[in-house]
Amino acid sequence: MHSLHNLTIKSFHEGLVKKEFTALEIAQAYLKYIEVRDPEIGAFLSTAKDQAYQQAEQADLAIARGEEVGALAGVPMAIKDNILIKGLPATAASKMLENYTASYDAAVIVELKKAGAVFLGKTNMDEFAMGSSTENSAFKITKNPHDLERVPGGSSGGSAAAVADNMALAALGTDTGGSIRQPASLCGVVGLKPTYGAVSRHGAIAMASSLDQIGPITKTVEDAAILFKALAAKDRHDSTNVRVNYGDELLNPKLEDIKNMTIGLPSEYFIDGLSPEVRKAMDEVIASLKTLGIKFKEITLPHTKHAISCYYIIMPAEVSSNLARYDGIRYGTREHGKNAKNLIDLYKLNKSNGFGAEVQRRLILGTFVLSSGYYDAYYAKAQKVRRLMRQDFDNAFKEVDVILTPVSPTPAFKIGEKTSDPLSMYLSDIFTIPVNMAGVPAISIPAKVEGKLPIGFQLIGKHWREADILGIGQYYERINKI
Amino acid sequence: MDAINKKSLEHLADLARIHLDEKKEEKLLHDLQNILNHFQELQALNTEGVLPMTGGTDLKNIFREDAVRERLGAEEVVDAFPDKQNRHLKVPPVFE
Repeated sequence: MHSLHNLTIKSFHEGLVKKEFTALEIAQAYLKYIEVRDPEIGAFLSTAKDQAYQQAEQADLAIARGEEVGALAGVPMAIKDNILIKGLPATAASKMLENYTASYDAAVIVELKKAGAVFLGKTNMDEFAMGSSTENSAFKITKNPHDLERVPGGSSGGSAAAVADNMALAALGTDTGGSIRQPASLCGVVGLKPTYGAVSRHGAIAMASSLDQIGPITKTVEDAAILFKALAAKDRHDSTNVRVNYGDELLNPKLEDIKNMTIGLPSEYFIDGLSPEVRKAMDEVIASLKTLGIKFKEITLPHTKHAISCYYIIMPAEVSSNLARYDGIRYGTREHGKNAKNLIDLYKLNKSNGFGAEVQRRLILGTFVLSSGYYDAYYAKAQKVRRLMRQDFDNAFKEVDVILTPVSPTPAFKIGEKTSDPLSMYLSDIFTIPVNMAGVPAISIPAKVEGKLPIGFQLIGKHWREADILGIGQYYERINKI
Repeated sequence: MDAINKKSLEHLADLARIHLDEKKEEKLLHDLQNILNHFQELQALNTEGVLPMTGGTDLKNIFREDAVRERLGAEEVVDAFPDKQNRHLKVPPVFE
């Protein structure tokens, strides 16, 4: 039987249809490995053995009946705990939802169930996806499989660690300001943030609705393309979801298209604050892509320096609105408020005890930037700056097809290193945030590095042109034999 | 002058329905002042005549057919509620 270590979605599918193994055998092997290994890593908040085995048996039955099965049939996946799977817990790593069980499937889960995927369990994250290290989980710390003293990144840290450590063949994460790409970079796996509107957000616990997207975390770019194609289906429950016909070029990019491309290198991203090992990794990736015939050009995204301020105004504003519903009345637990004197007191007791420090900080910050007297100076101003950031990308894409940048200024940092100063944690997202502000797609791909800690590079594409960044990524993998 | 002080923080916490104890308040005030000072850099940027970007897309007028759709059953919704009696939702008294 195949070692879990070598499997990809592609090779799993080939082995499955050739009957080298069954989906049930592989699901059992993954769940057994999770049982042994996860106490050390902490990637999962819950596992779903019974549901997983049933789903795997369905895939095996289809094959036994001689049916043609799709690329995701039987594929064992890990799902971030802010995405709903009917009948399973969905805590968003918050005490507020500790006892909540999802009453319906998220749109992406509906699609993956149709495709025959198997869900092994729900993964750890920063509470309500607020953080860059998964240290804000109310339940546990997730460790980076490459160095257990370091963070896996966040907020989708559990999903990235699970895939990096072969506890799942692929995973789903959500990305509001880098929460798929940064943990993918720090854990040495592939993470795709699709174009805003490409994937339905229905059934993902909302953080900042104008920025959130669901996307795949996988071992290879090819796997990310396979999974993205399944996720990008029209869903009528999300009115921002756009029907796009993603064709065969996602999975079979043509070399002649790739080598005629021009990649932009924004001067604002190759700055002094970049660690030497990240700079070296970027230089090597650029050299490698040049061997394909791709041309490079220096470009400018002049409003990059305003990204952090702009993001930390718009995102908390949306957070303070989206999280108002967690008042202890409708969902989860009302336990914290059982001694409340009146209704307002009940809200306060539930929110103050149910939410962690970072969530409370953002709720108050969001309330501040939306309050009368400050609205124009902060929220309205930030929305205008957001427009300028989007125009930066529109202008750059008149000259180039794709933009290449680092994902994070440094490799994985130590657990506890940045928890006391929220601003220093916020600043580590400088290269990923502008992508969400503009709504464009971007992917983090592991660069070939010599050291122990992985480093990812980011390819940013035009709106709806996931094919360009997935295509370049697939050729980078081929020439570097990843 | 700081955009936020002890008194305005207490008012904001009240609006956000968050209870602050002394220690939490002190740390939060320090963090928020730091963050808001960082935001000051935006004020120097000229945004006159720039159309605000109010959402993630420029889509307009999304319509759907006016027809009955598949939806959650009442039982699933009641099940998700923290406190109930038979099939009734229990909430604390609103009027005193």
